[in-house]
Amino acid sequence: MINDALEHLDRSARSFSPFLTSFILIMISALPLYMPGYGQIVIEVGLVSVFYWSIYRPDLFPSIAALALGLWQDILVGSPLGLHALVLLLANWAIMSQRNFFQGKSFIVVWWCFSVVALVAALLSWFVVCLLNFAFINPLAVLFQAILTIGAFPFMVWFLARLQKAVLHPIGTDV
Amino acid sequence: MRQRVASVARLTAPFRALLNRFAMLLLVLSALAIMFLEKVEMEAIDRVRAGVIDTVAPVLDGFSRPIATASSGVQRLEDFFSVYDENQRLREQNSRLLKWQNKALALTAENSTLRQMLNFVPEKGTETAAARVIGDSGGVFAQSVLINAGVAAAVERGDAVVSDRGLVGRVAEAGRKSARVLLITDFNSRIPVVSEKNRVRGILFGDNSSAPRLAFLPTDNGLELGDRIVTSGHGHVFPAGFPVGTISSIEEGDIRVVPFVNFDRLEYVRIITHFPGEINGRIVPSTVRTLQVK
Repeated sequence: MINDALEHLDRSARSFSPFLTSFILIMISALPLYMPGYGQIVIEVGLVSVFYWSIYRPDLFPSIAALALGLWQDILVGSPLGLHALVLLLANWAIMSQRNFFQGKSFIVVWWCFSVVALVAALLSWFVVCLLNFAFINPLAVLFQAILTIGAFPFMVWFLARLQKAVLHPIGTDV
Repeated sequence: MRQRVASVARLTAPFRALLNRFAMLLLVLSALAIMFLEKVEMEAIDRVRAGVIDTVAPVLDGFSRPIATASSGVQRLEDFFSVYDENQRLREQNSRLLKWQNKALALTAENSTLRQMLNFVPEKGTETAAARVIGDSGGVFAQSVLINAGVAAAVERGDAVVSDRGLVGRVAEAGRKSARVLLITDFNSRIPVVSEKNRVRGILFGDNSSAPRLAFLPTDNGLELGDRIVTSGHGHVFPAGFPVGTISSIEEGDIRVVPFVNFDRLEYVRIITHFPGEINGRIVPSTVRTLQVK
């Protein structure tokens, strides 16, 4: 009886891990690093997380998780509330609609797709912020941020893949 | 039985797909609604933000400490290699500052005699609260930091925030034990300033770049590269005379100011919770008050 309950708890904790890791990664990215230049331009860890989990474990990563993570990021970094929520939701939706495409594709292809998603996300958020402020903002910093995120993608994927291997069983089996 | 379940599933599949798509639409609409709500109803959203930050502030505080320690360790190592040059520089600075000290002492004495002659009523001093920076990285759309002091330490929205070098920004939202500070480089930052040398007034506009733009100046302003810019105290928000930065470029009406504060290495800040001349958040010039006393 107790074993059953523990097993159930264990399973739900594991199935919660994609959301939880994304949540913690976003928090870490908001910590002061005292590094020159960092702070104005940061790696969009939320976008990488959402991209990764939407492809590899969509069963454990519902769209509402993307919305919640976006709001969390907005509150933490002080960007307009709903901005990252919208961007992450749309990224999640775009990947979900192309899920069959990603099946069995090599890492380079996935990376390339991420680059497109990151650039589109950057332009979209730039456009929304311009609209919200009724002003033209220099898009250069936004593009730099996207490029930095694209560059950091392999490292983050390596970490997330290790985590997935350690915590979650292969897809199709029980959690 | 299994066949029937399968056929039912096949029948309901399009509906479920529709529902899924509808759910997506609903989520996107709610994200848009939140954005719109923040635009029209700032207060409520600000309270929610401050509440959430308040809840996670202890965690951020805990996580940011080891990073600060590691960073200061690296800094110490860097300092070790430049110790000779630094010593030389400090010697020169020391001799220069000693001259200034003499001058300051003389001026203080002169000032106090003049005040006595005028029956000057001393104003209540500046009150400050100290805080640590616990969150950074506004990203490209917001230049702000989180600090671990809030309403409980008399920190209020609109208070000026300074570091040992100069003006950092102002409090944008205050929770009970945490607050968000809008940096002077942020897109929404507007600071009334004055040039120290020729007293030209202007407004410092943040634009998310590292050097805010100085605008609303008289046409023939006579500003030069390297001029020091300080807060003017106009607009009833900031105490006057806080160092802000120096003019770094003048190009056809586009004047840029590089802040004195190094935002990358910001660890401790002071929040001006009360300053002389501030009455219920409004500034009354001291000359007016002396006249009233008479």
